[in-house]
Amino acid sequence: MSRVVVGPFNRVEGDLEVHLDVEEGIVVAAEVAVPLYRGFEQILVGRPFEDALVLAPRICGICSVSQSLAVARAISAFSGVVPTDNGHRATALAHAAENVADHLTHFYLFFMPDFARASYAGEAWHAAIADRFAAVKGRAARDVLPARARLLETMGLIAGKWPHSLAFRAGGTTRALDLGEIMRLRAILADVRAFAEEVLFGRRLEAIVALETLGDLDAVAAGPGDFAAFLRLSAALGLHELGRGPGLVMSFGAYPGVGPGGGDVFARGTLDTGTGARAPLAIDRIVEDPARSWLAGEAGPPARATSEPDIEREGAYSWAKAPRYGGRTVEVGALARQLVDGSALASALVAPSGATHVAGRVVMRLVETARVLLAMEGWVDALERGAPFCAEGAMPTDGSGVGLVEAARGSLGHWMTVRGGRITRYQIIAPTTWNFSPRDAAGRPGPLEGALEGIAVGAEGARSVAVQHVVRSFDPCMVCTAH
Amino acid sequence: MSAGMETFYEVIRRQGITRRSFTKFCSLTAASLGLGAGAATEMAQALETKPRIPVIWMHGLECTCCSESFIRSAHPLVKDVVLSMISLDYDDTIMAAAGHQADAILQETRQKYKGQYILAVEGNPPLNEDGMFCIDGGRPFVEKLKEMAEDAMAIIAWGACASWGCVQAAKPNPTQATPIDKVIKNKPIIKVPGCPPIAEVMTGVVTFVTTFGRLPDLDRQGRPKMFYSQRIHDKCYRRPHFDAGQFVEEWDDEGARKGYCLYKMGCKGPTTYNACSTVRWNGGVSFPIQSGHGCIGCSEDNFWDKGSFYDRLTGINQFGIEANADKVGGTVAGVVAAGVAAHAAVTAIKRVASKKPEQVG
Repeated sequence: MSRVVVGPFNRVEGDLEVHLDVEEGIVVAAEVAVPLYRGFEQILVGRPFEDALVLAPRICGICSVSQSLAVARAISAFSGVVPTDNGHRATALAHAAENVADHLTHFYLFFMPDFARASYAGEAWHAAIADRFAAVKGRAARDVLPARARLLETMGLIAGKWPHSLAFRAGGTTRALDLGEIMRLRAILADVRAFAEEVLFGRRLEAIVALETLGDLDAVAAGPGDFAAFLRLSAALGLHELGRGPGLVMSFGAYPGVGPGGGDVFARGTLDTGTGARAPLAIDRIVEDPARSWLAGEAGPPARATSEPDIEREGAYSWAKAPRYGGRTVEVGALARQLVDGSALASALVAPSGATHVAGRVVMRLVETARVLLAMEGWVDALERGAPFCAEGAMPTDGSGVGLVEAARGSLGHWMTVRGGRITRYQIIAPTTWNFSPRDAAGRPGPLEGALEGIAVGAEGARSVAVQHVVRSFDPCMVCTAH
Repeated sequence: MSAGMETFYEVIRRQGITRRSFTKFCSLTAASLGLGAGAATEMAQALETKPRIPVIWMHGLECTCCSESFIRSAHPLVKDVVLSMISLDYDDTIMAAAGHQADAILQETRQKYKGQYILAVEGNPPLNEDGMFCIDGGRPFVEKLKEMAEDAMAIIAWGACASWGCVQAAKPNPTQATPIDKVIKNKPIIKVPGCPPIAEVMTGVVTFVTTFGRLPDLDRQGRPKMFYSQRIHDKCYRRPHFDAGQFVEEWDDEGARKGYCLYKMGCKGPTTYNACSTVRWNGGVSFPIQSGHGCIGCSEDNFWDKGSFYDRLTGINQFGIEANADKVGGTVAGVVAAGVAAHAAVTAIKRVASKKPEQVG
């Protein structure tokens, strides 16, 4: 048996290292190490709780709105101050813009360039894929970057600046959008729709959200667009057999206040991909275990946990803790979110193997992009002129609350306790903390660690491109992971 | 990559950018840098004749917000051109190569362009526990940084992390996150602070350096004067409301909807040097004050530990802070002798004295 190190990884957000034990060309065990730690949970303690709205988003320059909203919702939870209707809509628009931008970045800049690698040079499709998707030089980057920048003008209108916006509060957003700005939002969404339909999907957004079966996907694969190009590649390489997930997926529920009846747009809950069993979300079943982390303490619920470095900890190999739900490892992300929401296509994708996989993660990230872009058009139309965007209310000086958010990469939670107006405890579990969790005290591997087991790396070892596909299929955000 | 022989112009032509686009790029950039009329021609000539200056972009302890800002630079052409300039060499986040292959490219670039490359650093090194809080390719980032800095011509410190430390250096600074100039002492360092810096400021700085092969004029804190010589407050579109004593008192209140001044909501615009109120964000669409939230001063040193972000700048410290910022920055503009609190009080008194009824509607 030999041990190889994959990493440092490029084209992921932050630093990551993966250790593989390889026996006769097959991965028998994997350890996922998060080699970066800043100590936000320590830094936040002792500060006025509203300062978390400024500091916590700076955990991540890619998903800062998700971090902002987790803080705002934690404050909502203990203050009772909740967003106005317009506040919900403006918040959802900004959050959706960030999430769609992340999905586009992942597909075009982080995931697809691996198929342009020299190790695929012998494949019939290689020349065309390399021309379009090679890192930085490929033509696709020139299409997507301007479209993405245009989409993020949404953020300018609603939140002033992005990343690290300041406009998000427990009661909504600080900016009341006027008619001119609402018109500009419509124009931006029209431009982004044009890009998505002409370049990415090769057909109408409505046709993409209507996909239900694997046969429907095959029909798309025969058509134009970058999504179709991926579907053809995926079929040729068997990406639906690669990177098997842990069997349980979770969603905290996405875009609250703008869904049917004022609820979530994408439902919250858990789903067992093996049995198909659904369950409501029970937040008190979440436990964090630092057994294999460079952090002190024992396993416990985040509301009572701390994060103090302990670099001498025996057996530790990551700065991330191991979050578990009712003792199980959990996959989060767009595929998980769409499965929990009851998407027929997502269910069809995981049905054959009873597990999530590389192809499913990428497909549902793009299908979700279409769903969200369509929903955004509705939210803009629903904005009521003259109605308030931000509710104000008396803030208690003591209390505790949890802020739950579905970020692009999955479920994000902030657990906050406040005494005398100041933070006494702050704990964060980010999406990639779930997906790239280290082992727990019982030795159970995290979702990526499990997904890498059994992969044939052959003589390529650490250079195996299959390993790259599996790692990137989760769209890791490493700076969030250990924060 | 022939060792430093190729000109920038040759590189971009090879990537399919037209002569016309190139000329346009030169005019746009010259304008955004505030250079004179002849500068566009001068730039074009420099880019056509001088060997391209390689840029190596490294990431330490950070959140990648600087890269995120950078790739959204407003003018697609500017971004394309600048990206082509950079991607030829090394960038952790967007480059093609992975793992130790990427490390090998880094070492190769370092040797090949010894003393000629620009090292652009995003994030900073944590020094506690021998650098263990940021391990990059099996080694503490601080070691890699020192090694790469040794052979660099100059260093660009991107953002508040590299320039000042930023929120990860906030008390108690668990990892001892440390700004670049406290670790690298023997190289010229350009600080481009902000959390993140504005995209157009970043592309402007990198274009200036790679075009002219020298650093732009820096103030005494090491920031390019062309972007950091004015306070947000000086060019804020809400400034007339400050002068008129019209302030937002609560989020989304009547004053907020009328676009009154956010000073009472904790705005740090009066003590913050940056280009937000002129260049703006997300393609010139807006900036934090325009979104109805005060400036938090994210381009200033220690912005993270100056008390609550929602505390108003008040009282006796005001004179001290302002005098200090101007003195240290070396950018006294003539109008800054008065402290902001006093300034606000005086303008409010003037308004009362004039006995004009406050306008409604």
